[in-house]
Amino acid sequence: MQSGARLRAEAATVIDAVISDGRSLDRALAQSEPQVSLADRPMLRMLCYGCIRHHWQLRAELNARLEKPLKKRDRVIESLLTIGIFQLSDTRVPDHAAVSATVEAARVLRRPKLAGLVNGILRNFLRSKTSRELPQSEEVTFNHPQWLIDRIRQDWPDHWQQVLTANNERAPMWLRVNAEHATAAAYQARHAVAGSTMKGLPQALRLESPQPVDALPGFPDGQVSVQDAAAQLAAPWLLSDGGQRVLDACAAPGGKTGHLLELLAGSADLTAIDADAERLGLVRETLARLKFDATLLAADASNAGEWWDGAQFDRILVDAPCSATGVIRRHPDIKLLRRETDIGALAELQRGILESLWPLLKPGGRLLYVTCSVLTAENDGVVGPFIAAHEDAGENRVLHDYNIRDLMTEKAPGFQVLPGKHGLDGFYFACLNKVS
Amino acid sequence: MAKLKILEFPDPRLRKKAVPVEKVDAALGTLIDDMFETMYAAPGIGLAATQVDVHRRFLVADVSSEKNEPWVLINPVILERDGVEVSEEGCLSVPGYYESVERAEQVRVRFQNRDGEEVEASFDGLLAVCIQHEIDHLDGKLFVDYLSEAKRQRIRKRLLKDRKHRVEDRVAAV
Repeated sequence: MQSGARLRAEAATVIDAVISDGRSLDRALAQSEPQVSLADRPMLRMLCYGCIRHHWQLRAELNARLEKPLKKRDRVIESLLTIGIFQLSDTRVPDHAAVSATVEAARVLRRPKLAGLVNGILRNFLRSKTSRELPQSEEVTFNHPQWLIDRIRQDWPDHWQQVLTANNERAPMWLRVNAEHATAAAYQARHAVAGSTMKGLPQALRLESPQPVDALPGFPDGQVSVQDAAAQLAAPWLLSDGGQRVLDACAAPGGKTGHLLELLAGSADLTAIDADAERLGLVRETLARLKFDATLLAADASNAGEWWDGAQFDRILVDAPCSATGVIRRHPDIKLLRRETDIGALAELQRGILESLWPLLKPGGRLLYVTCSVLTAENDGVVGPFIAAHEDAGENRVLHDYNIRDLMTEKAPGFQVLPGKHGLDGFYFACLNKVS
Repeated sequence: MAKLKILEFPDPRLRKKAVPVEKVDAALGTLIDDMFETMYAAPGIGLAATQVDVHRRFLVADVSSEKNEPWVLINPVILERDGVEVSEEGCLSVPGYYESVERAEQVRVRFQNRDGEEVEASFDGLLAVCIQHEIDHLDGKLFVDYLSEAKRQRIRKRLLKDRKHRVEDRVAAV
């Protein structure tokens, strides 16, 4: 036998690790997944992602029914209660099953004395879920922390609600078909894959429903990779006018590195760096699967003096570390883990990386600055002042394919893909030329 | 120790009625160890011999999070049932599906332990549900039998389809 209660207890542990211990959802899930069977993992993910996506609303429902917060050591039960409320409001699990399995889960979590409380709150929720008025706040309405709502509203006065709504939706699964093998349309036809392609992104294929990577035809031998279509804008943009020596800065886990190599098709030499030696291992794995060779360096992009050999590059991709506020739909835990104070520190780091790498670019060369953030402070707020401060830096607003214009919103000196629009993740791109 | 293959619904072998265990010996002990290993690895909280294609009346269970409360029930017979409890059951032979099933809240069971001694004990909570679920297996019964015909057929079809995919994936990978 397997127990639905056990599965919920595991989900509560994951959510509590994110909320109470500040762990990333990916890491917490990776630790918990071995505790449940292969067949149960989709359900575990569904519960964890759902509860974290709707955190503020679920907490408001809970707090309206909880006389006082639970003791610190019992906080996992608060997470369990949000799982119960989530199931009763958003899933097709029958009510009585959701209640009994959640109550039993309190016992699995070794809090038998709180089983009665769990039962009482969930039954109360069932009785009053439509009648009770919650205190209205933007946090509850949009399921984001207030500081982030304020920032997004300030940066996107015409789009902020659309961004916040898109952040709480599920992201589609996009593939990148290896340009050395086929276009997305040809791959789709050959393997009868249910999905759709998009103008301006010849290698991108949006799957109708997500699939495990191992089930994708040609995945093991590098014919296809998983990558959001917005991220697939970077490599063709950087390489539209060729380039012999290419630097991929902050490369891990290597999605864009692989794409660059697919487009270069062995005609150039590429150096990929990442400050995190362990994550550089992921780049190595990606390249091994795609059967490419590149120079990999564990090196800090913000301190080129430490590792640069003095030979300049024709093209530099700066995929800068950022708040990841453009990919919240894939990583909803960002809403809980990121702090407002992180943004200034990230902008500082991004400025440092640009300053450090600029001397590495040949006169006449091109640098593409990319983030998966939607915040001005990390995007135009970094690149604009940088251009102003460097006489030899100029913005390049020529797009290599007119069709991609429709996917983006102007955010001079660059362009923003807003999350959710055309099914894409939120990315920022600014292309700089070095005046010769 | 070895991990055993678990039969999956709608395999007809899951419908065989198990026969009583005649002798509690070393060979049975080995089989019990293998069943624990199989159950812990899955992971599950109970496993009946029927599920590993052994059609003799015994089962293993452990509902503790720490995997340190193993139970072995040989030739189990339910003597008394008390109360009603609905809980969400899943089954290693019906992977990925959970449904509400109504069971007795408490059961009193006579069985032999792994030393062959005859014992009587009362069980409640998750362990009581689990033991009833596993004894059903020994009688060729599955938790999906408590669901509506339509629901059972839906699960049957999806599982057959998933299994076909799994085989195809393996072929594709090679």
